[in-house]
Amino acid sequence: MTWDWNYAFEIMPDLLVGVWYTVVVTLASSAIALSLGLLLAILESVSTTFGRAFVRFWLEIFRGVPILVLLYMAYYVLPEYGLNFSGMVIGIGVTGLVYAAYSSEVYRGSLITIPPELRDACVALSLSPSVTWLSVLIPLMVKRSIPALLNYVVGMFRATVFLFAIGVPVLMGEAQTAADRSFRYLEPYTLAGCIFILLNLPFIYILSKAKADHV
Amino acid sequence: MSRTTELSSAGNRVNPGGVASSERKVDVSTSSKQEPVWAIEFKKICKSFGAFRVLVDLDLKVQPGEKVTLIGPSGSGKTTVLRLAMTLAKPTSGDIRIFGESILFDQAGTLLSSAEEARIRRRCGMVFQQFNLFPHLTVLQNLILAPTTVLKQSKAEAKESALRYLRMVGLEGKVDAYPAQLSGGQQQRIAIARALVMKPEILLLDEITSALDPEIAGEVLDVVRRIARESGVSMLIVTHEMRFAREVSDRIAVFDGGRIIEQGTPEKIFISPESERTRSFLQSVLNH
Repeated sequence: MTWDWNYAFEIMPDLLVGVWYTVVVTLASSAIALSLGLLLAILESVSTTFGRAFVRFWLEIFRGVPILVLLYMAYYVLPEYGLNFSGMVIGIGVTGLVYAAYSSEVYRGSLITIPPELRDACVALSLSPSVTWLSVLIPLMVKRSIPALLNYVVGMFRATVFLFAIGVPVLMGEAQTAADRSFRYLEPYTLAGCIFILLNLPFIYILSKAKADHV
Repeated sequence: MSRTTELSSAGNRVNPGGVASSERKVDVSTSSKQEPVWAIEFKKICKSFGAFRVLVDLDLKVQPGEKVTLIGPSGSGKTTVLRLAMTLAKPTSGDIRIFGESILFDQAGTLLSSAEEARIRRRCGMVFQQFNLFPHLTVLQNLILAPTTVLKQSKAEAKESALRYLRMVGLEGKVDAYPAQLSGGQQQRIAIARALVMKPEILLLDEITSALDPEIAGEVLDVVRRIARESGVSMLIVTHEMRFAREVSDRIAVFDGGRIIEQGTPEKIFISPESERTRSFLQSVLNH
């Protein structure tokens, strides 16, 4: 099979629609994952033994079950219980929840590395628990977590490919549709791969800069 | 004593209690007969970590404005005394009172709520061996965080107070610096200023020069000497700097094995100690 530039240009508008959906899903699921992950890490830290056990169970579910299984369950099973969501909402929600579980472990690791002496300083200054968390612990947790969290954002960006399985027109979905329509596989998948690499470049730059800042 | 006890940048003494530095030196044996309100009082304090008894039936009283230094070999329980006063640790038994109020129990003998504990603890400030400045905040942010959130000062008011104390410790030019951009001595002086902006009536200093080389330690000790000389704040100091202890203290308590084995004026402790253990400890430290 030889490369057909005309066909490549013909499918490009559809692929760019896919890029738009991919970026939206990545940003929305990142917002869910990074904020919910932080909340889970805090909840686990301040909970009672029962609360911690519940959080851990919840985290293991989302880390242990493959993302495709969760997507299918949410897309096909939830409507049977009267819960109807669009594929886009389910895709963003499931990706966000899965990566929230991973992110919470990163935040938890950062929290552990904060020297206990800083908490002593908070007590010595009579800072309330909320001020201690909001002004001292959370900023330090987030700062120390940035390099690892950026890796997960890249992971979510790549995980968007699963969403084509539930009909979301992400980049992979658009490439698949184009390929199925024409039975030409070279151009759609090659272009999709190149676009993924191009979109990854800013992440690679930000990640290397973040790592340099944190070493 | 008023909570407004303060140092001014120019070194003018503001001591609402009106107690001159020389008058602050107290004879504990006579003052105890008058049942004064102690700035801080440890009553029969025991503290154990597992089977290890760190403090054994500790009784220690500090008068308002008095500077008491705890000396003794490492592991004798000195730092634990400060941590208990700051509620960073709980005693196994006994009671601790700050200006007459227990930081452990209410009048009915039940454990204090964390809010009540915080209210009483607010009268104390502490400076740590490792400075413990918040690394993500600038010097100014480190200094105004507690005054704005705990004392509910306006940002402008807190900033003005912070600048005053920064001038006092000679670091007014470092307001926008981050702790990592400062030397150890500078960080410790900032930590002292951070404790002072909360206007503590009792200042707890835990081996504040141990992490510093001797040359830099001098600049930190000079700041503390000045606070001791010019303010009416009570001080409980743990140090291995014997010359500093002798200069700054009204009273020195010698610790060994979780007990105070001897206490008295610096002259008594350093010139004519009663205990053989005190003598041997001082000999080993001073000859080092």
